[in-house]
Amino acid sequence: MSDFKIDRRGFLKALGWTGAGTALAGCDLPTTVTLEEGAEEVVSYRLPKEYAIPGVAVWYATTCTQCAAGCGLHGRVREGRVLKLEGNPESPVNAGRTCMMGQAGLQNHYNPDRITRPMQREGGRLVPISWDDALALLKGKVGKGGEIPAGKTVWFTGQVSGHQAVLIDEHLKRLGGGRHYAYELVSEGVWQKVCEDLLGDPQPTLDFRAARLVVSFGADFLGASPSPVHFAKEFAAFRHQPGDRGVLVVAEPKMTLTGASADLWLSPKPGTEGALALGVAHVLVKRGWNVVDVPAELRRLLDRFDPRTVSEITGVAGHRIQRVAFLLHEKEGAGLVVAGAGLGSHKKAYEAAAAAMLLNILVGNVGKTIKPGTPFPEPALAPRRGTTRALLEFAEDIEAGKVQAAFIYGTNPVFTAPGYLKMKERLASVPFKVVLTQFKDETAMEADLVLPLHSYLEDWGTHVPPVAERPALSIQQQVMKPLYGETRGFGDVLLALLKDLDEGTFGAFPDYYAYLRTAMENAPAEVKGGVSGWDEMLQKGVLLAKAGPAAGLKPKLVAPQVMPEEEEEEAGSRPFHLIPSPRLGMWDGRHANLPWIQEAPDQIAKVVWGSWAELHPHTAKELGVKNGDYVRIESDHGAIETQVYVHNGINKEAVAVPLGQGHEAYGRYAKGRGVNPLRILAPATDEKTGELALYATRVSVRKLDRSEKLIKMGGSETQAGRKLVATISADVYRRTEGEV
Amino acid sequence: MPFSHVRLNRVARDGAARYRRDGGVVRALFLMFALVFAGWAHAELPVPEGIVPPEGEYEGKDVPQPIEFPHDIHAKINKINCMYCHTYARRSKVAGIPPTSKCMGCHKIIATDKPRIQKLTEYWEKGESPRWKKVHDVPDYVHFTHEKHLKRFVFDKGLPVENVDQVCGLCHGDIKQGTVAKKAKPLTMGFCRRCHEANGGPGDCWKCHK
Repeated sequence: MSDFKIDRRGFLKALGWTGAGTALAGCDLPTTVTLEEGAEEVVSYRLPKEYAIPGVAVWYATTCTQCAAGCGLHGRVREGRVLKLEGNPESPVNAGRTCMMGQAGLQNHYNPDRITRPMQREGGRLVPISWDDALALLKGKVGKGGEIPAGKTVWFTGQVSGHQAVLIDEHLKRLGGGRHYAYELVSEGVWQKVCEDLLGDPQPTLDFRAARLVVSFGADFLGASPSPVHFAKEFAAFRHQPGDRGVLVVAEPKMTLTGASADLWLSPKPGTEGALALGVAHVLVKRGWNVVDVPAELRRLLDRFDPRTVSEITGVAGHRIQRVAFLLHEKEGAGLVVAGAGLGSHKKAYEAAAAAMLLNILVGNVGKTIKPGTPFPEPALAPRRGTTRALLEFAEDIEAGKVQAAFIYGTNPVFTAPGYLKMKERLASVPFKVVLTQFKDETAMEADLVLPLHSYLEDWGTHVPPVAERPALSIQQQVMKPLYGETRGFGDVLLALLKDLDEGTFGAFPDYYAYLRTAMENAPAEVKGGVSGWDEMLQKGVLLAKAGPAAGLKPKLVAPQVMPEEEEEEAGSRPFHLIPSPRLGMWDGRHANLPWIQEAPDQIAKVVWGSWAELHPHTAKELGVKNGDYVRIESDHGAIETQVYVHNGINKEAVAVPLGQGHEAYGRYAKGRGVNPLRILAPATDEKTGELALYATRVSVRKLDRSEKLIKMGGSETQAGRKLVATISADVYRRTEGEV
Repeated sequence: MPFSHVRLNRVARDGAARYRRDGGVVRALFLMFALVFAGWAHAELPVPEGIVPPEGEYEGKDVPQPIEFPHDIHAKINKINCMYCHTYARRSKVAGIPPTSKCMGCHKIIATDKPRIQKLTEYWEKGESPRWKKVHDVPDYVHFTHEKHLKRFVFDKGLPVENVDQVCGLCHGDIKQGTVAKKAKPLTMGFCRRCHEANGGPGDCWKCHK
């Protein structure tokens, strides 16, 4: 290099430039980003409170309303803007965790497609009006001496609870007693009825922590109703018992988030889940593994469901049926069999769920893993559980002329109702429809009057979660001031309607906040859970209540008639079962307008921003289709066309299309994207409960000429024999590596 | 090594091109002296003891503001402390632009005949705050917090609060000399990192790029 007497390094050091420092010359290259001067604005407060420090966040407790679970939230607020949502550790529902729907609540709040003015239908279109005009219109229709006859006004909502539900009841009472329908497409009406009939309690406590085996017949407890975050926490506890990882068996027509965690995944032919359960029961009784006496009638029934017969009916191998029975026997008293919405039989969903519950009773799980429920001490605040039956009854009542005015809130029936119900036309026959909403969804587009609501982060309320570690009242608190001047809180609108009808009772409250605060400060001790003041209630965000009285469980053995009476018509032209599948994220389509939810890949197919139809590789081969090919899926009630996704996690006789896309309104992120499988559903309901049989539609699948790359995350789905991800069974691991 | 690419080519007596054997040190020396001299020329604010100041100067843009706020009148002539207005520096990631109420605290009475004060009062009476333009800005992916820097260089060292301008000046230059803020230091990553290295600050990527 150089033969100067002073070497370069020593010389540079003498000038105070260390070696490493000078090497950072590259970091001094100015870029367009670091050169930002005067590009952004920094606006100071005008007259802030002493404690308001810019840059330091304040947290407010509230409740999530992205689904009916009622998780507790903490909202992080800086300079008066909510920037991040986290779970409230105090909540017995979610204990500080959130799911993707909870996180996406920010986008519900800041969504550019929010309605900011009331709107009235005029000449077939919705035109903006003032709140004064909107309230005057309401007064004329359903106010004191209003046009609509007594008893002909109804409320059609999603699942609601707390004081909002109380005010809906009060409103209907003063209007002559019309009905409040609580409708949820993703719900468990059948399972609740089975629990009520066979155990004497529609909502028993399912103790995952006491269980060492969970067998799920179509209950996607990790990914769908009733409380995904809660059950994820419970399931984690189930897996982490010392020395015993627990066993999860899932039987479902197509793989869900829950099924993806299964140790044993079964896929009985859609509609034959009941036969599968009875097949397992047959083995239990045959081997004498039942711990209760089996009445003769049931014994005779079970005789017909030997493993070979059941294997033929369901397509599940005989040895697997034996295995499930063995597991139930091995974990006697520590097993938990649940059934859910994925139990999609035609008219026999109830019977199939009863067959599943039968297994619990046979091996003595009742009282050990299925325990008495813990009802909320104030029934008036308890959740009005949503069912699909409510939608059908609403549709019938409209047809029968029983509905002259409908208040619609927290639900989008024009999108989620099966196409054959012709909900749009049906609603058109209701003289006065008021839709209370944040967005111009399909139902709002059919309204006579649209009332723009605050987002849940701008509003007040109380909620009783349907499932929690213990009964609780979760408070919804305004986390930031409303973004728009012309939206109103849901409770405030209810209060305004009530003040008009009964100034005496409700006139004392200037707004819903005042009503809630009064109600909460005067709440009975069982509800308050030892919390004294309003401020403390707001800080905690959740009140831990004392359970109300619950009857003990009285298990009843029945003989479920799981097989259809008539011979099923030959499959012929419609050989496949359509599975319109809900999932965590889109849910029933309500979150299609949130980009984060659209962006999040489906947990199984990994597709983003679109629809797809899941097919088994054998089926795909028969049809001559591969990933990305377009197919036409046709039922007797319509057709949809979408791209194929091939994978093993679906029954060979099923085609699954996800719920949520195919919106015809609902803003820039949702509209005109993908297909809605609910459009082509067949009119099928469960015989016993009247709930929609969502998986009972038969379809044909035909390859079309189009093919495009399927937009999904992830590359190859096989390891091509390269053992990139090594797998080992839990048993072997336990033997070779020690405890799991 | 920097400057090692510099070669002073000479044509030797035998006609062949040869590199001068000093490897460009002379040029390096010249540049270094120039820089050090330039540094001296700017160094009006004394550097508190025990702090190695960050290296680097920058000629900032003239950023027009809604009101041409005179730092010289407030901070130099009237000797108002930086943190009197930029209160949050010691307790938050941002030093903060003072709320309009703070300005009005004095200017309800002081210099009310001056046009700039009248403009300010107009904002106050309309219920607004002036929309200042941010001059010292780093990209959104950089997490800089004033609180930690003040703790390190002012409060942990027991520097008297009257002299806090010496610490502020390390990154903001001597704002007292002018009216509105003007960038005097590059605020590039190298600028930050050299000071961190010299003064024992964290070197983890995720401390600032979380």
